[in-house]
Amino acid sequence: MNRSKAGAIALLVVVLALLPAVVHSDYLLALCDTAGIYAIVVMGLGILLGFAGQLSLAQAAFLGIGAYASGWLTTHLGWSVWPSMGAAMALSALVGLAVGYPCLRLSGHYLALATIGFGIITQLVLINWKDVTNGSDGMGSIPPPAIGSFVFDTYGRYYYIVLVAVIVCAYVAWRIKTTRVGRALEAIRENEIAARATGIDATRYKIVAFVLAGTYAGLAGSLLAHMTKFISPDSYSFDQSVVFLVMLIVGGSSSISGAILGAVLLWFLPEVLRPLKTSYIMVYGAAVIAMIVFMPRGLIGLFEGVRARFARRSPEAA
Amino acid sequence: MQFDPVANMQLLVSGLAFGSIYALVALGFVLIYNAVGVVNFAQGEFVMFPSYVAVSFILPAVTVFGTVVHWQLPIVGVYVLVLVLMTGFGLLFNRIAYHPLRDRGWMPVVISTIGVSIFLRNAAQLIWGSQPIVMPSLFAVDTISVGPLHIRPQDLLIIAVTAVLIAFQFFLFERTTLGKQMRATAQDRATARLVGVRVGRIVAITFVYSALLGTISGLLVAPLFTVTKEMGALIALKAFAASIVGGFGSIPGAIIGGLTIGVIETFGGFYISSAYVDAIAFIILISVLLVRPQGLFGERVAEKA
Repeated sequence: MNRSKAGAIALLVVVLALLPAVVHSDYLLALCDTAGIYAIVVMGLGILLGFAGQLSLAQAAFLGIGAYASGWLTTHLGWSVWPSMGAAMALSALVGLAVGYPCLRLSGHYLALATIGFGIITQLVLINWKDVTNGSDGMGSIPPPAIGSFVFDTYGRYYYIVLVAVIVCAYVAWRIKTTRVGRALEAIRENEIAARATGIDATRYKIVAFVLAGTYAGLAGSLLAHMTKFISPDSYSFDQSVVFLVMLIVGGSSSISGAILGAVLLWFLPEVLRPLKTSYIMVYGAAVIAMIVFMPRGLIGLFEGVRARFARRSPEAA
Repeated sequence: MQFDPVANMQLLVSGLAFGSIYALVALGFVLIYNAVGVVNFAQGEFVMFPSYVAVSFILPAVTVFGTVVHWQLPIVGVYVLVLVLMTGFGLLFNRIAYHPLRDRGWMPVVISTIGVSIFLRNAAQLIWGSQPIVMPSLFAVDTISVGPLHIRPQDLLIIAVTAVLIAFQFFLFERTTLGKQMRATAQDRATARLVGVRVGRIVAITFVYSALLGTISGLLVAPLFTVTKEMGALIALKAFAASIVGGFGSIPGAIIGGLTIGVIETFGGFYISSAYVDAIAFIILISVLLVRPQGLFGERVAEKA
């Protein structure tokens, strides 16, 4: 990472940190919190799809597992929030391992379908395992996290938890991308047979990617549960997994900033389209097609294309 | 639970009927996959959308865009109208969602078909509202008695129509030039083009054919459920599962996979758990993928390495 890029990121973080000072609407702050949480989910998917080239359509199920684990531990067992978050991540990681181990023998469309199946089964369990999940009625009164006597009970306060989590997740993803694991995953994405031939244990690395995607979603689910204080199974549907996938592809799948950008932009897009009232999701669908047709490499590709064009105009020797 | 042969026969008929629907939709998946190498995630909307259009012309009064309309037409006319409309739709779908992306690998096409699916589901909600609509059956009675059995005539119709369509498809693929061109395109596009097959046109025809298969399944299944914007999604996912259980890319595999899933699901829903009935197809799927990843009839292994 060069100095100007690091500077830009530092500046962005400062601007983001000051956001609650300017935005006072609870509604907007809640949207910002959710955008950050979705950015975490999509970054996790980016590790799996963008880095390793494995398509999963179960990301919402892992989000649900994280949310319910955290919700159940705090409301039924009376755990405090922070260890519950850790446990939610651990459980999602474990489930990721259990699902990933058999499923990663498959690839492409087949993997996609197996993960769809897992997602649908998970949602059915959330609906029908009433003793734990309280079924379609949902689980309520999930407590907000606190440090000492400072309770993160407003969207403005919660924003900082989300921001820190996004930064940490982005940093971890960046470390993965730029070190040995990331290069191994990239080799697998480009050509699995060649990667195996050079001694990369492809199965193990793919499972690592799957577990990481699950862990990110588990953390996000827990964050979501303690923010909204109420969770119900219909938020963790196949359609939601599709939305995460679209966010990633539109942002630019192998780029961390692309994942964040895609999540934030597509999360706010319906808000921008809200004047269209009932037809807005329809326009959203059309927008997705248009973006895929006209921006082959996602938003990040678009930005890089523009930057490259400017760079070409300025004289090289200067 | 007591073993009751009559009840089991009735379950079998009903399972075969649902299985036929899965088989038809699965055929749509397989034909498109063979022609262009991509799974069409809007296949369920090929079932849902024409059902809405049909029901708007079958019922005496339907609310469209918030106003009540009286468009009732003779039922045969409605079927012809819907099939014509969906032919146009298949062509349009090919033009917008597939054609511009044809050289960019499978992922962008998958995303664009997902875009179409979101678009159509919400267009349906916008046009027809969110209330489910009941499509009347062609038959005056709900069940008929065959010996000791009580069977829904709609089930028998579904099975019969599916059998005819499968026979038609066999004839098309084995006996006609068009069918041979479709098979050639599926096998090797470059070579097909070399020997003079107009691949672009064949792909367009495949999309139309697939849309029509979806339409017919929708018209057949709608009287058993209600017409909702979600009706196609689960059918399509299960049909997709069926095509993989049978062996993806294999036409007999899609048919047998569909029937198998329909029957097991119906029995499972009755004997094991009706709450988890929608999980059964995917449990079968995951088990098959783990034990025999190429599916029951599969030959292709390239994607499963």
